[in-house]
Amino acid sequence: MAHSHKHDKPVDTGPKSKMVSLVAQFDDPHSLVAACGRAREAGYKKFDAYSPFPVHGIDDAIGIRRTRLPFFVLAIAFCACGFGLFLQYYTNATDSSPIFPGYKYAISGKPMFSLPANIPVLFEIIVLSSAFASFFGMWILNGLPRFANPLHRLPRFRRVTNDKFFLEIDASDEKFNENRSRQQLEEWGARAIEECHVDLTDQKIPQVFKLAGIVLAFALLLPPALIYRAHGMTSRAPRLHVVPDMDWQEKYKTQGTGPNIGTADAPALLFRDNHSMRKPVPGTIARGDLTESDEFHRGYKTGTLPPAKTSGPNADAQDGQAAAPGTPPEPEWVTEFPEGIVVDAAFVSRGKQRFEIYCVACHGYSGNGDGLVNQRALGLSATGEAAWTAAKSLHDPTVKPQAIGRIYDTITNGRSTMGPYKSQIPVKDRWAIVAYVRALQETGIKPPAGTAPAATTIPANDATKAK
Amino acid sequence: MAASVDLSLDNTYEDPSRRADLVLGGMTYGDITENVAAIWEADRPPRTWYIVFTISVILLATLGACLFHLIMQGVGVWGNNNPVYWGFPIVNFVFWVGIGHAGTLISAILFLFRQNWRTSINRAAEAMTIFAVICAGLFPGVHIGRLWVFYWLFPVPTEHLAMWPNFRSPLLWDVFAVGTYATVSLLFWYMGMVPDIATFRDRAKTKVGKIVYSLLSLGWTGSARNWHRYEMAYTILAALATPLVLSVHTIVSFDFAVSQLPGWHTTIFPPYFVAGAIFSGFAMVVTLLVPCRSLYKLERLITIRHLENMNKIIMATGLMVGTAYGIEFFIAWYGGVKFEQFAFFNRAFGNYWFAYWIMVSCNVFIPQLFWFKWFRTNLVAMVIICLLVNVGMWFERFVIVMSLTRDFLPSSWGNFIPSLTDYLMLAGSFGLFFTLFTLFCRYLPVIAISEVKNVSRQPHDEIEHHGSEGHAH
Repeated sequence: MAHSHKHDKPVDTGPKSKMVSLVAQFDDPHSLVAACGRAREAGYKKFDAYSPFPVHGIDDAIGIRRTRLPFFVLAIAFCACGFGLFLQYYTNATDSSPIFPGYKYAISGKPMFSLPANIPVLFEIIVLSSAFASFFGMWILNGLPRFANPLHRLPRFRRVTNDKFFLEIDASDEKFNENRSRQQLEEWGARAIEECHVDLTDQKIPQVFKLAGIVLAFALLLPPALIYRAHGMTSRAPRLHVVPDMDWQEKYKTQGTGPNIGTADAPALLFRDNHSMRKPVPGTIARGDLTESDEFHRGYKTGTLPPAKTSGPNADAQDGQAAAPGTPPEPEWVTEFPEGIVVDAAFVSRGKQRFEIYCVACHGYSGNGDGLVNQRALGLSATGEAAWTAAKSLHDPTVKPQAIGRIYDTITNGRSTMGPYKSQIPVKDRWAIVAYVRALQETGIKPPAGTAPAATTIPANDATKAK
Repeated sequence: MAASVDLSLDNTYEDPSRRADLVLGGMTYGDITENVAAIWEADRPPRTWYIVFTISVILLATLGACLFHLIMQGVGVWGNNNPVYWGFPIVNFVFWVGIGHAGTLISAILFLFRQNWRTSINRAAEAMTIFAVICAGLFPGVHIGRLWVFYWLFPVPTEHLAMWPNFRSPLLWDVFAVGTYATVSLLFWYMGMVPDIATFRDRAKTKVGKIVYSLLSLGWTGSARNWHRYEMAYTILAALATPLVLSVHTIVSFDFAVSQLPGWHTTIFPPYFVAGAIFSGFAMVVTLLVPCRSLYKLERLITIRHLENMNKIIMATGLMVGTAYGIEFFIAWYGGVKFEQFAFFNRAFGNYWFAYWIMVSCNVFIPQLFWFKWFRTNLVAMVIICLLVNVGMWFERFVIVMSLTRDFLPSSWGNFIPSLTDYLMLAGSFGLFFTLFTLFCRYLPVIAISEVKNVSRQPHDEIEHHGSEGHAH
């Protein structure tokens, strides 16, 4: 041991220091516990033991009461539970708050507030808050951090974190008497006794701190002053955005004329006409838009000049009949399927499938014009709630004799209230529907009115007949 | 002093009449302090430390370069693509989070079970936990695309977004679970370290050391009243961390299990992931502590018995993981869902069959060597086995994630090809981990000095307690 002498003389106490306690050193935990018991018997109240590790039994020897920390943590845990529930309820199950409203998520058809799915986050919030409560609560109850502890000035006391054990009797204890207490500590087996002094000379705050404090106080007045200056004013300056949003990305937009690159005065233009995109060369045809064959793409014989626009839903407002008076002359419609189309069973069943997707809603499964949409619309128009032109029956005497090119044109461009389907149905599928319509017309199925028509199966030979 | 080594350095034999010593060589309190503080008080660290530190910093710089590249270019620099949008980043995330489980397990669960042998290893294991969680958090953190709005992960009221996180998403649960775990682990680690930092403070010779350790030790004096509340807080934190450590990997497994993908959508995932996490974490602790104890001459504190105990846990958790692999196949067969059956058949014999068999070999077959005492107590053998276990555990996560390559629809199948950035970031994460760990070894107490003192057998214990039991319970 470095210090063999027992009574260390206090190191230059000076007139301006005050003794706050006597500190006795012990060499093992058992003698410390024993000394604590003796000190308690002797009636001391303000004394504490110091050790490198928690010593068993010392709480009873000193009479330390059980800490209230667990109850504090429990209270925080309950608060955290409430907060966690509120947070999830507010943010995911409400959206009516005027400021920072929540956002209702509809997730897999679950209720907006679905407790089982909220348990994981709730659990983590409780654990996190309780951990903070026990960590910070412990330090607060222990009065730490405390850097200006006079005990740290004793060189001998440094071994408290190594291998020595100390008992400190506070000078403010009622039973404290310097000589008698010193004597008692020796009796209880102290290996060395030191006086702990608190230095009174350096308790004044240095000038520099005062100065800094004054500057800080004035600086703190700045924000309220700025707020006062700005009160009741409006501003045209945009709000400060620390993180730029996606809306303000520097980029050229395809259809835009004013690029948002560069400044408003000097925009960084991609082309001189302010466009960020060039127009195609005249005569450019988009991919898939090449429609050369009149027979295949438009349904009439090449060379039969198409008259002024006949197509479109408003072209002939009342009826789809070709020979209606007042309508411009029509081209010569093809009567045979154009080149490249082979009408076989597969082609007709493709047509049937497409027909049942696009056409049956109005024209019905058998083509009678008794589709559900048509029935409903006729009902509404009878009561004057809607205007509607009845869908044609495909077995109508005005429809039956039509050339297949004419039917193809109707599908492509629409007639009367029927809209054009060229954007939805590819050319070949339109011809397939034409083939199926022909097949329906050939079989001439006419189920009694008011019953749901059954889907019709076209035998292969019928389909070939249609050709 | 422990000049005469009467006690053998081997404390692995079971003697029913007497509890085995956890501190060997009759070390006094002063010897224990001296032994641990010598690491930091040495004028310069051992040469090996410099070598490891240099390599780690180079790898860390690589990671930094990769991150810069990633942030400037976007997540396309990774191999992530249709159909595997979660490639290496999620594999590395789960791998590192798993490793981070051993520390809290040792400090919390073994504390509640009164396993006193934890005292020599808990500090390093907790440090490892925190560094591993940092590495883990890195990967999803930089995967979010627009890094600068990372705070949208948290429920922060925003002015122009007018939205909140979806609290029913496992990915958000992950944010809370991993965030809570990192925070609680840090509090636990730091609180446990305060008395030992006070030891460093009281021994510091340089001015900087004195100031830094004084601030970090918060003016700790070791007062009995302080110890009383400290122990209470420690117990509460342990009781909180125990369910927490189980919840974290459970929630990580929800990332997979809550989805509909065959091979992921199984109820066994939570326990299977937790067992795997403990398995890989303990393997990492052994990998780190064996060189540490030799380098810093800590053989009397981290004894062969400590290492053997950890190896036993590795074997036990390895068997759990192996059982889980078997159960997955059983359920795939028993459940009769053909997609599930295909997913598992494909794991073993499909496009990533090699990953599957590396995983099974390293995680199930090789740890069986720990049935033999020679392997449990031989330093070289255990380090090799533990390294292989961690290779296996990385591949386990790879195998799971690669379920994405072949799901329901064969037309949407595809393979995952990691990019160079993927590989460099994986290596770089090890650089980050080892840089932090080597710095920890250099500047902080690697062993819980105050806790070890409490479980060491001292001469005065023999006198006063008639040598019956001592403190080494």
